[in-house]
Amino acid sequence: MAPPPPLDLIADVAIEIFLRFPPDEPEHLFRAAFVCKHWLRLCDPVFRRRYRAFHGAPPLLGLLHRRQLRHGYPAARFVSTTSMPDFPHPGSGGRRTRPLDCRHGRVLVHMLEKEDVDLLVWDPVTGDRHAFPQPDMELLIYTAAVSCAVEGCDHLGCHVGPFGVIFVATDKHDEIIKASMYSSETGAWSVPVSLDNGSEFYAKHRQDAIEDELYYVQPRRAAIIRDDVYFTLRQDNTIIKYDRGLNCLSMINPPSPNANNYCISLMEGEFRRSCRMGTNLRVLELEATIPIDNVDCVVPETTMPIDHLEFGRSVVGFAEGVDVIFISTDVGLFTIEIKSGQVKKVDKPGVYYSVLPYMSFYTPDGGRLSSLAKLTDV
Amino acid sequence: MASAGSGDEKAAAAAMITLISSDNEKFEVTEATATLSQTIRHMIEDGCTDGGVPLPNVTSKILARVIEYCKKHATAAAGEEGSSSSFSDAAFLEVDRAFLEELEEFDDAFLEVDRATLFDLILAANYLDIKGLLNLTCQKVADSVKGKTPEQIREMYNIVNDLTPEEEAEIRRETQWAFE
Repeated sequence: MAPPPPLDLIADVAIEIFLRFPPDEPEHLFRAAFVCKHWLRLCDPVFRRRYRAFHGAPPLLGLLHRRQLRHGYPAARFVSTTSMPDFPHPGSGGRRTRPLDCRHGRVLVHMLEKEDVDLLVWDPVTGDRHAFPQPDMELLIYTAAVSCAVEGCDHLGCHVGPFGVIFVATDKHDEIIKASMYSSETGAWSVPVSLDNGSEFYAKHRQDAIEDELYYVQPRRAAIIRDDVYFTLRQDNTIIKYDRGLNCLSMINPPSPNANNYCISLMEGEFRRSCRMGTNLRVLELEATIPIDNVDCVVPETTMPIDHLEFGRSVVGFAEGVDVIFISTDVGLFTIEIKSGQVKKVDKPGVYYSVLPYMSFYTPDGGRLSSLAKLTDV
Repeated sequence: MASAGSGDEKAAAAAMITLISSDNEKFEVTEATATLSQTIRHMIEDGCTDGGVPLPNVTSKILARVIEYCKKHATAAAGEEGSSSSFSDAAFLEVDRAFLEELEEFDDAFLEVDRATLFDLILAANYLDIKGLLNLTCQKVADSVKGKTPEQIREMYNIVNDLTPEEEAEIRRETQWAFE
């Protein structure tokens, strides 16, 4: 048998092979890149762009999570869901922090005991940080969403570009729900807008909610569909919508009463609610083109048995793009892939309320490591 | 009658393409088979296939395998087009599934080759721009490399380690997790 050709001389072929390493197992690409200088240099920005385009959606690399206030703070820890070590948690070191969202390769963190920094948008892959003040609102209970601010972006590698943040909070003084939007380009927050009493439905809802002392924004991860950002309120799990184009807040009719334990999320422009019903996990969805007020029109799409997971389970998150649902059980936090039904334990048991999934590409650093190879290659 | 017959022959001949390997062996293939290669498709479109298509980068041994792959997949493509217009029910889905399974089995058997042949197939698929074959062969190599250390990969593919001990130490310090 003839010996194989010297592969290090065939860049095109090596690149074709590199492209096919799975992004949710980043170690394979790293190991291959460290075979020789030539291969290390192949992992340049052009290759990284091709790699992202080849795979289409960034993989789930890890997660942070939020709890309701009464359950205290989760440990300041960024949990890795791959073979990579956990990313360091920004600004921990004994100080209290509250992660609010992960999206488009960025993490939004509220720095609770740092006088010089209120909010931080952080890229765990590059370590880039952007600090900015919190909006001009008296925050009682709140949630927020961070997203890329480039129109028409495919969000495959946009984490160095401009971003926006939507903050939604119950005001400490008047107990009215307000929203404000931050732009990294202008470095400013918009004047807060509030849900108003204009609609009969809202007025009734607010009255009931105040009677029950439940007029709270739920500290859950938001869903974003085009210009609209969706949040939930504690009373009846009501969904509210912030329209980024019109800069206004509105209320959506409440979802089916069966959906007592659900999370709202986005999947390629579809609005998706997942809820726990009996021993099956049902994924319900409706097209975003259907007016969202018609939430009753949900159609069961996928039903998967989750009998083999222990009791005490609840859906605590959804990772769009990779189609993964997070289920908290008595024996740990699990991911379920909707398409394959594959179940994986990702963290130990604990109090999970809203999982913030971090999706991004983690590829060998063509900048620093390959320049290292270049420098000594004479 | 005679003229009509020769017309048919002409049409049949026009749909056949001659491929010439680096060791000068000639292969007659249908246009449908040949055009799985984007490179050959472009040559046909430009009208430069008269007298055969010389492929100086592909040996007869490899070209025979490439043609075997293209024949099978060209039939599959034709079958899909044909059946999708005449069936639209469960029977069609059943036929379709059986066909896909057969194709998968063919691909698995096709990949049962030694490493040198696999690489020659990748080079040929790359040169001839046959997307399916390139994907199949590259995925096979990617899967065989998965889980291997850089040392094992160098050994598998005769690659000389030209990183200095300092560079290696630096890389390991930065990304120890990838080696554990």
